[in-house]
Amino acid sequence: MTIRTLSGAALAATMLAAVPAAADFPDREITMVVPFGAGGSTDIVGRIAAQALSERLDVPVVVENRGGAGGTVGTQAAAGMDADGYAITVATTSTHVVGPLTNASVRYDPVEDFAHIGMIAETPYVLVVNPDLGVSDVSELIAMLEEAPGDLNFGSAGQGSTTHLAGLMFLAATGTEMEHIPYGSNAEATTALMGNEVQVLFGSMPAVLSQIQAESIDALAVGTVNRSPELPDVPTMQEAGVEGYRASLWLGLAAPAGTPDDVIATLSDALADSVGDADVAAQLASNGAEALAMTPEEFRTLISEELVTYGDIVAAMD
Amino acid sequence: MDLFANLAIGFDVALSPSAMLYCLIGVTLGTFIGVLPGIGPLAAIGVLLPITFHAPQTEAIIMLAGIYYGTMYGGSTVAILLNLPGTAASAVVAIDGHQMAKQGRAGPALVMTTLSSFMGGCVAIIVVAGFAPPLAQFALRFQSPEYFSLMIMGLLAAAVLVQGPFLKGIAMVVLGLLIGTVGQETISGLPRFTFDTLYLYDGLSFVVVVIGLFGLAEVLRNLALGADREKVDTRVGWRELVPTKRDMKDSFMPTARGTGIGAFLGILPGAGPAIASFVAYALEKRVSRNRRNFGKGAIEGIAAPEGANNAAAQTSFIPTLSLGIPGDAIMAIMLGALMIHGLTPGPQIIQNNPEFFWGLIASFWIGNLFLLLLNLPFVGLWIKILSIPYSILFPAILSFIAIGIYSLYREPLDIFMVTGIGLVGYLFIKLRCEAAPLLLGLILSPLLEENLRRSMLVSRGDPMIFLERPISLIFLILAVLGVGAVLLGSWRASRKPQTEEGSAK
Repeated sequence: MTIRTLSGAALAATMLAAVPAAADFPDREITMVVPFGAGGSTDIVGRIAAQALSERLDVPVVVENRGGAGGTVGTQAAAGMDADGYAITVATTSTHVVGPLTNASVRYDPVEDFAHIGMIAETPYVLVVNPDLGVSDVSELIAMLEEAPGDLNFGSAGQGSTTHLAGLMFLAATGTEMEHIPYGSNAEATTALMGNEVQVLFGSMPAVLSQIQAESIDALAVGTVNRSPELPDVPTMQEAGVEGYRASLWLGLAAPAGTPDDVIATLSDALADSVGDADVAAQLASNGAEALAMTPEEFRTLISEELVTYGDIVAAMD
Repeated sequence: MDLFANLAIGFDVALSPSAMLYCLIGVTLGTFIGVLPGIGPLAAIGVLLPITFHAPQTEAIIMLAGIYYGTMYGGSTVAILLNLPGTAASAVVAIDGHQMAKQGRAGPALVMTTLSSFMGGCVAIIVVAGFAPPLAQFALRFQSPEYFSLMIMGLLAAAVLVQGPFLKGIAMVVLGLLIGTVGQETISGLPRFTFDTLYLYDGLSFVVVVIGLFGLAEVLRNLALGADREKVDTRVGWRELVPTKRDMKDSFMPTARGTGIGAFLGILPGAGPAIASFVAYALEKRVSRNRRNFGKGAIEGIAAPEGANNAAAQTSFIPTLSLGIPGDAIMAIMLGALMIHGLTPGPQIIQNNPEFFWGLIASFWIGNLFLLLLNLPFVGLWIKILSIPYSILFPAILSFIAIGIYSLYREPLDIFMVTGIGLVGYLFIKLRCEAAPLLLGLILSPLLEENLRRSMLVSRGDPMIFLERPISLIFLILAVLGVGAVLLGSWRASRKPQTEEGSAK
């Protein structure tokens, strides 16, 4: 904070002094921005990571919820915080891929404006259907869609949301048609599926898991490369015959661009160690998320690649 | 019926010393935080959620629930005493409650709030305990067309809510509807009136609008009055603190009707709890024999919305717990808290964790009892707030508003926004335009539009969908009958020589 008020010379002096001090990182509490409201699935995953990081770095990691506009408000704020490692943010498919692609008001670059730290977890999209539809696997669903193109509805958590794009990806991969009905949130879309206003939904795992377990909706496939430990009997899209469909919601950590490399390395090591911990993985799993480790470079590459994949879908949308 | 066996399990859990302690802590914290202007249930739960992480799971949820309804009680208190509502529900209660406070009847108003809330809560608990699973299934039959028709009925409530000149009131509703269009539109995903900033992407924050239009505008009005500010007689004896026999008699049926409306609307995710108070107030204003006093300190105008508000707060746990679907932002936080504590919400929760489910239900009742016991002796204390000199009170109010608003989203712009809206609110007071209908318009706007457009998508453009679905049709018929009654009423009033000022034209 005070750095901004210092003169240029003093600033340079402070920065010189700060370089060796990085070896002491961290020596005070770290603020973790969660760009979604308290109690949501991003918040839960963020808090699990914060707790694990705090144990490994021996400083408190304080979660600060700054929700709004699909996570882009908090992410924009985080991009402008001090690049000293004491401000980090939860970066997700929404905030670092879909938001910047679909929201013209986003002012940050998800690749250039951040120093990426690593991955926490991914949550699969699950293709779920209303049981009254009477289909038991993906091929039956595709057959039904081919017979009556555009008759069925699929729901999403909003136009241009991650769940909408996951649906469009499926339609593109299978060459089928469905009417898109947008809702305000994952919870609303799930309710609509249970009430049969929409017959198909590409839901995020935390939003639909308990309903699948209660058999009030049927899971046909998961969008991840491997089967989900939470739903071992549900095939992946590849196994179900939909080639090239890979979609999941991931959650990682990033710091503002300019955060020193050794600070990022410290954070990244602590994060990788946390994610590799069996207890942390179990906590994540009980919330529908699978622990996933990635180096800063891998994470950065993933974001760049997905910006292209999703960018194509968004471009085809209008 | 296993109702009693189930409740026995529940009370066994809820009456354990630790559960009662956490419940007491929750309602006490909730009440005191709710009394602070600018901090509603959403902010309070958001801020206090981390505290509960360290409590055992059942106790943690009981405490959170206690905070939730404690805050609502506290919110009503400050709405009545200082005209500083923080939620839509307390804005409705403030209409007549604050008038009563000005007339030196703050005591009866606060006691009645407590009693009506208690009654609303108690009845709703029986509904939750007895019929949660079938009601949750019923709620699922509410899809876009049903919600749209329900909102149409809500618009009618707005027409009834209007106190002064009808046209002015309708203009305020329309203004509310228009303000509700700010932000990203769900169906097309396109931003409207956002001035290319992310800040307005989710629309104007509801709390910011309520606090600005009511709280801040009220502070400005009082300051502008200066020495002319109405003196409130605060040296009231204990006898005048309690409602009279007549108050009790007048309030009973309104509370009962309000409770019924609240219990029903609370079950519907998303829409219900927000409009329950408005609908209850509007209905009372139509059916009450005392309707001419509404807006001037009618105790029925407190009893009905308070009963509705609390009943809706209890029954809104039904979809959250038994379907695992949060009805609103507060319930979403509760759901998150359940998951953090390793409980999976959903239909299985009743079978898998019966002690938890029934314990929570029973603790609702205990929490309500605590609130009753806590609030009745405090009424005298709360009223003392009114005797604080305004020169000391108003900076405190402004600070609390600023802290409350900032703590909600940590967004500095919200402070500027609330200031601007406060100035607009003061202008409304000067122009004698009421803010309550605007608020209802603001709540209904996105719900009306989204559900209309979604229904049309589902029906592939056929508007008959609203008439073909029975529940939707019933709401539309009720709306038409309601409009007829309003028109008939104003036609009759226009034929009668006007004896009282302010009666509908």
